[in-house]
Amino acid sequence: MLRPFIEQIAKIYPTAKRYLHVFHGGVFPKYNKELSANQPVRTQIIPNKLILPLQQQVGLAAEVLVNVGDYVKKNQLLAKSSKDPKKALIVPMHAPTSGVIESIEPAILAHPSGLLDMAITLKPDGKNITIENVLNVSKQPIETPDQLKDILFHAGIIGMGGAGFPTYAKIPSRPGQIHTLLINGAECEPFITCDDLLMQTQADEIVQGALITAKALGSSKIICGIESNKPTAIKAMTQAAIGTIVEIKTVESVYPMGGQKQLTLELTGIEMPHKTHAVDIGLLMMNVATFTAIYRAVMFGEPLTARMVTVSGLGFNKPFNSVAMIGTPFSELAEAAEPKSKLDYPLVMGGPMMGVKVKDNGVPITKTTNCVLANPPEPVDMQMPCIRCGECMDACPVNLLPQQMYFHAQAHEFDKVEKLNVFDCIECGCCSFVCPSHIPLVQYYRHSKSELKEIHAEQKAVDLAKERHEFRTARIEREKAEREARLKAKKEAVKKQSAAKPADNPANNADTPKKKPASSAAAAAARAAAARRAAKTNQDSATGSTQTPETSASSEEKMPSARLKAIEAAKQATQQSAQQDLEQGSEKTTDPKVAARNAAMLAAKKRAAAKKAEKVAETESDTSTPVDAVNALDTEKPDQTTIKKDPKQAAKAAAMAAAKKRAQAKIEKKANAEKPSESVNTTNKTEDASPSQPEPSQMVDLTQQTTETDASRKEAARKAAKLAAKEATKKRADAARVTKQQAEAERAETIERTGQVDPVTDKRNKAVEAARQRAALRKTQKNQTNSDE
Amino acid sequence: MIEAILIFLGLAILFGLLLGYASIRFKVEGNPMSEQIDKILPQTQCGQCGFPGCKPYADALAEDKTEVNLCIPGGNEVMIQISEITGLEPKQMDETATETKTKETAYINEDLCIGCVLCIKECPVDAILGATKLMHTVIQQECTGCEKCVPVCPVDCIEMLPQHVTPKNWKWPEPVTIKEASK
Amino acid sequence: MSQPTSSPFAHNNQSVRKVMMQVQIAALPALLTHIYLFGFGIVVQWLLAIATMLVVEYIMLKLRGRPIMPFMTDMSALITITGLVFCIPPEAPWWIIVSGSAFALVFGKHLYGGLGYNPFNPAMLGYAFLLISFPVQMTTWTLPVDLSGHTLNFIESAHYIFTGQIPGYSLDALTGATPLNEVRNGLSQGLNVTETITEQTKNQLFGLTSWGWVNVAFMIGGLWMIYSRVISWQFPIGFLGALALISFIFHQYDPSVYPPTSFMLFTGGTMLAAFFIITDPVTASTTPKGKLIYACGIGVLVYVIRQWGAFPDGIAFAIILMNIAVPLIDQYTQPRVFGHQR
Repeated sequence: MLRPFIEQIAKIYPTAKRYLHVFHGGVFPKYNKELSANQPVRTQIIPNKLILPLQQQVGLAAEVLVNVGDYVKKNQLLAKSSKDPKKALIVPMHAPTSGVIESIEPAILAHPSGLLDMAITLKPDGKNITIENVLNVSKQPIETPDQLKDILFHAGIIGMGGAGFPTYAKIPSRPGQIHTLLINGAECEPFITCDDLLMQTQADEIVQGALITAKALGSSKIICGIESNKPTAIKAMTQAAIGTIVEIKTVESVYPMGGQKQLTLELTGIEMPHKTHAVDIGLLMMNVATFTAIYRAVMFGEPLTARMVTVSGLGFNKPFNSVAMIGTPFSELAEAAEPKSKLDYPLVMGGPMMGVKVKDNGVPITKTTNCVLANPPEPVDMQMPCIRCGECMDACPVNLLPQQMYFHAQAHEFDKVEKLNVFDCIECGCCSFVCPSHIPLVQYYRHSKSELKEIHAEQKAVDLAKERHEFRTARIEREKAEREARLKAKKEAVKKQSAAKPADNPANNADTPKKKPASSAAAAAARAAAARRAAKTNQDSATGSTQTPETSASSEEKMPSARLKAIEAAKQATQQSAQQDLEQGSEKTTDPKVAARNAAMLAAKKRAAAKKAEKVAETESDTSTPVDAVNALDTEKPDQTTIKKDPKQAAKAAAMAAAKKRAQAKIEKKANAEKPSESVNTTNKTEDASPSQPEPSQMVDLTQQTTETDASRKEAARKAAKLAAKEATKKRADAARVTKQQAEAERAETIERTGQVDPVTDKRNKAVEAARQRAALRKTQKNQTNSDE
Repeated sequence: MIEAILIFLGLAILFGLLLGYASIRFKVEGNPMSEQIDKILPQTQCGQCGFPGCKPYADALAEDKTEVNLCIPGGNEVMIQISEITGLEPKQMDETATETKTKETAYINEDLCIGCVLCIKECPVDAILGATKLMHTVIQQECTGCEKCVPVCPVDCIEMLPQHVTPKNWKWPEPVTIKEASK
Repeated sequence: MSQPTSSPFAHNNQSVRKVMMQVQIAALPALLTHIYLFGFGIVVQWLLAIATMLVVEYIMLKLRGRPIMPFMTDMSALITITGLVFCIPPEAPWWIIVSGSAFALVFGKHLYGGLGYNPFNPAMLGYAFLLISFPVQMTTWTLPVDLSGHTLNFIESAHYIFTGQIPGYSLDALTGATPLNEVRNGLSQGLNVTETITEQTKNQLFGLTSWGWVNVAFMIGGLWMIYSRVISWQFPIGFLGALALISFIFHQYDPSVYPPTSFMLFTGGTMLAAFFIITDPVTASTTPKGKLIYACGIGVLVYVIRQWGAFPDGIAFAIILMNIAVPLIDQYTQPRVFGHQR
């Protein structure tokens, strides 16, 4: 409607052409496409060497399967991916022709940095011996996306329009997600004609490839966009698309029509929202070369090893297009185009608007290279300050504000550049193209983007470092607190231990270690009293371990009876509470061992109380205390009757009783529930009486003195059980010894009786005996180490 | 005359009351300035400021007990930001030691490492992996480049190296302006 | 090369010098018309201004430590002085143009950082400086040939400019007020606007006063500049549209006090401003919508100052006022980015 009018105006006002396409802006550079578009496609050049980089543009490097010196055939798999394709983006690499692997070493890549990366160097032998159908495809039609993804993955196909994203990862797995397939035949850059000639010569393959993809993905529409400056290609494609669902649309010739977002808007009218992928809104766009590769992979099982490349530029006499092998060095292609002068200037990979000046002219063709450009260098105009003319803003296809972004990028205010949506910039170069001040705007934006990426990564690292540091300080504090708690507990235990010793006399009794911390108050009081007494009786010349009991005894006599009464009452009260706790504890615990142990402890306490009561009765006080009641309690051990005045003698008696008991236990062999508890009881008693036994008692003491919790009781129970187990093993070992001895005795008897020795059985018996002896030796050794602990 | 005095007095009382009410009603608990400052500090926990970490330095700054120019990894930019937040005067950095902006991380020479765990104890972000008498190594991702581990190593096996430049992390350089081109 | 340079490696061969040259060429018709109608005074002034420009630019670039070469020849200063020269009376003394240009270049351009960094339009800054400092000299305009009957030739103009006298002529016969000034004076004296204007139309040359012809010449140059994409269309259309609209409204309201639209559009420096002054890209707004708002703002302000302000031609102050508002306008008129909601 308005179009012819605008077209007329455009003849005198060229910028009016901007109104002929839908997206904003765009520039009209001098195309120079006729340099190579009218030349026939040349036959494939087999170069002197092929450099195959292992890492493609996107993803990780592939793993090499061949070694230096191997002979490979065309289409042979040289590098593969052993990782899950869903998780790691790795693209396999195949040999473009037959030859010998010359080296696998870092080579310079067609990257603006000029950095080296691992590459396989192949020396072709010129014979081109091929492996057919290396992907093992059948002629079955592909019904699901996953089947297609599999073939694409093994064929090593990546986006050949320039981005190089692995196609198998781009395609979604859900059938029907893509409703429209878009074929990008726009080719908007100056000088490049590879897609043009591909469409002219292989239109059928492109259309068939698109149909295969559409069938696999379940798409219902296919639209192909071709710029109006390629009439022959349009004709060829239209011819190939007759009778299919492929729709050929002609679009305006403007740069950058071939950009994905721009072409999508042009063909479908859908404006892709920022930060979304096309597959998320049901569209999939791929270059014509990619579709050709898909066709060849699916129909013939051919991997991606060659692609159409334009070799053109103002520096060539005979620019041409040809299907070049992946890995062909630029210099060889350039030589075939007959450069006008010596190539001492860098070639450009790609077009003049978005290409990359390579650091070395020997870099290889990659799967995404579409052009080798040679434009002799022109004097570069110096960069002037920005005059804020706004041409860049008018030209930007993404409708950004290049001017503002430039100001902020120059001032290093990268956060403001990000706010101005620099990440939406497609780096097409329109802004730099029109800038009167010759400012390299795109380089500023590329710099800003990499700076921003680094800033974001640093921010993340800083946050992580802060987290780690906070965790570390918390951990150190926690460890310190735990250590202090343990130290405090130990100190208290030691103090209680020393307080418990003077309390072994009539004032206290042997079961102080078993008292709960409620008694610690009494112990503290006793300690304080002892200290006071010690201070009072400093001149006391009596030394030795008996000093404290004596002093306490003597001082006790010195103390007023009322005070004594009070102390006694406090102790009785704590004893009672301890007993109640014990009884309560025994009710709480369900473990029979612990219950039995608690009962035993109770009994022991009662016994000790009874002893003390007698002691108290022996002294001058005639206080009627609950001790009498305790006294009246039943006592188990027969040795209670032989209560001695001296606590040591009592302890000795207890020890003897304990030893007798142990012997009994050993004879019995079986270890039932009561025995361990009793043995524990006895061992406890003996250990109490003889404080020289170091750690187990102290361990027991500690846990019982520090906290009153179930956990500590369980700890104590566990420890008691461990001791019981040790005792049990000891018993078993002894029993085993006894039985062995008995057996030996028996055998000796039999031998004596019979007088005969069966040689075989005797030998066997001897061997068995030797083994048994060894085992017994081991057991005794183990027991010894156990008892050493 | 008297009316003017009365009016001004009335206004003064009114505003005073308003301000007093606002200071009670809108009182902010804690010291948000410390949080703000901590956010902009580089979190290397290197201790070059004299404080045992970035948060203590931020706390001290919020209480106006220290200088603004002590953070060396942060450099001039952080110093200016701190002075903006705290309202203190921007001070010249003592040394422009951080002119080299390339981030360096620590590398342990495994041939020399004796497994003494001294560096592990020193690292403020637990970026060193290892145990007694076993090989130590620096987890490159976590290393902040604070250099606290370098002096404690008894065999001097830790060195600071800049990161490798690969095509993955290569950055486009900034274009040369006319001012620099003419120099 | 050690450092990589980025694509694109193609350019449309536009440059700052080319842009400035195109502006200069567009001003040529107006210059010729001016010479024809007002004599050669303007040529003398222009030559004086160029001499001042060369000296001042050189000194300032040296003082600022900038490379002389591209900056001396980037022609941006030429535009400034051309604009200034058109604004002052052709027979003003020589020190007017010299001080005006020096002030404009030094204070309006170099002190802010040179080309591209100044917030205020340098020509208008110089003009405002002259208006305020030397009001008498700035308002005694030479009468056009149709009124005075004689155009001064080059020598006479030079003589007058440098010495303040012309042998053989009296000043009063040659100088007078501009139409805008006349209207203003008339209003203050009680004369109706219509009467003043009809008085002026008696001396018309093919239907327009001399001033009108100068403005038309400017318009022609401006239209060419729009065609060659040197300036944006939003500026003249916004400015003239706003000015026309507001003057039309007020004229309808009371024709005796408010001059008609045609008068407003074709007197004074309206067209000069519309196509040459406000289109200065450095000081104007950069976003498309912003440009329209900026231009409309200037139009309204020009009308206000002309009608109710103290100066007969308020273009300089209107432009400077809107220059102050440009960052704000830019902030709030950012275009919608592709793929974003707003």
